[in-house]
Amino acid sequence: MARFRTIALGLWLPLLLLAAWQWAATHNAIDPLFFPPPSALAAAARKMLISGELLAHLHVTLARALGGFLAGSVAGLAFGLVMGASARLRESTEPMLSALFATPKLSLFPMLLLLFGVGDAAKIVLIALSTFILVAIHALDAVLNINTAYLELAGNYGAGRADLLRFVYLPACLPQVFTGLRVALSRAMVSAISVELISADKGLGSLIWISWQTLATDRLYVAIASAATVGVLLHVAARRLEARLLPWKGRNTRG
Amino acid sequence: MRLSCVNLTVSFQGHGGTVEALRNLSLEVESGEFVSIVGPSGCGKTTLLKTLTGVVSTQSGFIERIPSSEDRNDLALLVFQENSLFPWMTVLDNAAFGLRMQGVGRAEREDRAAALLRRFGFGGRERVYPRELSLGMKQRVAVIRCFLSDPSAMLMDEPFAALDYQNRLGLHRELLELWEQDHKTVVFVTHDVEEAIILSDRIVVLSRQPGSVVAEFLVPFGRPRDPAVALEEEFLVLKRGIWTALGQHRETAAGRGD
Repeated sequence: MARFRTIALGLWLPLLLLAAWQWAATHNAIDPLFFPPPSALAAAARKMLISGELLAHLHVTLARALGGFLAGSVAGLAFGLVMGASARLRESTEPMLSALFATPKLSLFPMLLLLFGVGDAAKIVLIALSTFILVAIHALDAVLNINTAYLELAGNYGAGRADLLRFVYLPACLPQVFTGLRVALSRAMVSAISVELISADKGLGSLIWISWQTLATDRLYVAIASAATVGVLLHVAARRLEARLLPWKGRNTRG
Repeated sequence: MRLSCVNLTVSFQGHGGTVEALRNLSLEVESGEFVSIVGPSGCGKTTLLKTLTGVVSTQSGFIERIPSSEDRNDLALLVFQENSLFPWMTVLDNAAFGLRMQGVGRAEREDRAAALLRRFGFGGRERVYPRELSLGMKQRVAVIRCFLSDPSAMLMDEPFAALDYQNRLGLHRELLELWEQDHKTVVFVTHDVEEAIILSDRIVVLSRQPGSVVAEFLVPFGRPRDPAVALEEEFLVLKRGIWTALGQHRETAAGRGD
């Protein structure tokens, strides 16, 4: 029942907006060339799904996003954990990491094109970079914020270095590492689409850009809605996985 | 295990310079003795316990941990007031953690932990995580884990201080029940005078910081002991004596400033 309530609360506003949009577009309150009614968008979406076009674009974008995410998060996790363990490494790399964090990653794209050429490699490196930083920062934070009481407790029972790693460091870090991974996954999708807007002939980003240039506004909105839907689904899947892997954590449901 | 502190002085580097936590503290705890330490808050009680485990180093004086023939290992285990359980382990895994560190196999350690957990009211709740437990239940698990490891000494740092009266009474009863099995050496830090009398053989009163021993009291009640001794006349007499020892010291400490 509470679940149904949550879903209903999350849906009423977008549904209301869609209804208003439908009404306005069919009554010429807004220009249907710029804003085709949702019914027309649904028809376009159906056509693009049946032809397989939409899924092909989606597939390309997802492959780039997940490839970059995988490479970036593995490296970021390792780097963040090592940074947490070594104060010297932390002090010598933190300023650089902060600078990279503050740099819009898309602005590095021209440089990556010079380095890796115009193929997929430059795009995947860009996506990997943006996930790397997020995961590294969260992993570092997780290590630095370990409650020493648990280390003392385990040590008191005779835990050695390997035991501390396995029974304290690792489980204590996981929640925040997971937060980093979840945020990074969303960021990977966003980065993939952004970079496709600039330079690609396939993928959701390129679909958006080409639709805009040809003023195929129905296809434009379908592409945007698909990107949003996939983003939400990935986020939900990550949350589910997290709840399953960290049963001890328990989320505080906000009232 | 017999614990012996001779002329112990311990200090820390604080923000405003060196803080002396203990000064010239001497204390003997016999093997199998249950000793409570009471004193005003911030008198270095926790420091004393940590020093006894060897985590904190001393400026002067020394500590000896002398094994006795009944000891089966050299563990001196702490039981804390908070963060006493790993949040990422189930009740069963928490309780069996000490056994695991001692290399006891999975089946055996889980059997032994489950048996003790059942005895103390955890039947059917062995697989829940600490966040689902009340504070009293958490402290029960911490005490059970400690006893399962069969340590040579138990160093308890106000383990029941945050509990309500009912819960505290229950835990006193259970702690005494477990302790009666083989009379381990216990150093029990508390600020609750009644708790100290109910549980211990001897009570040591510490001064305000830097802590040193100002008085000692032998508890005249026999063993096995029922927490209901708190209703007896003698109990009140002893309590008054300890209060006076604590209070007198407070006056001298206040007078010193004039």
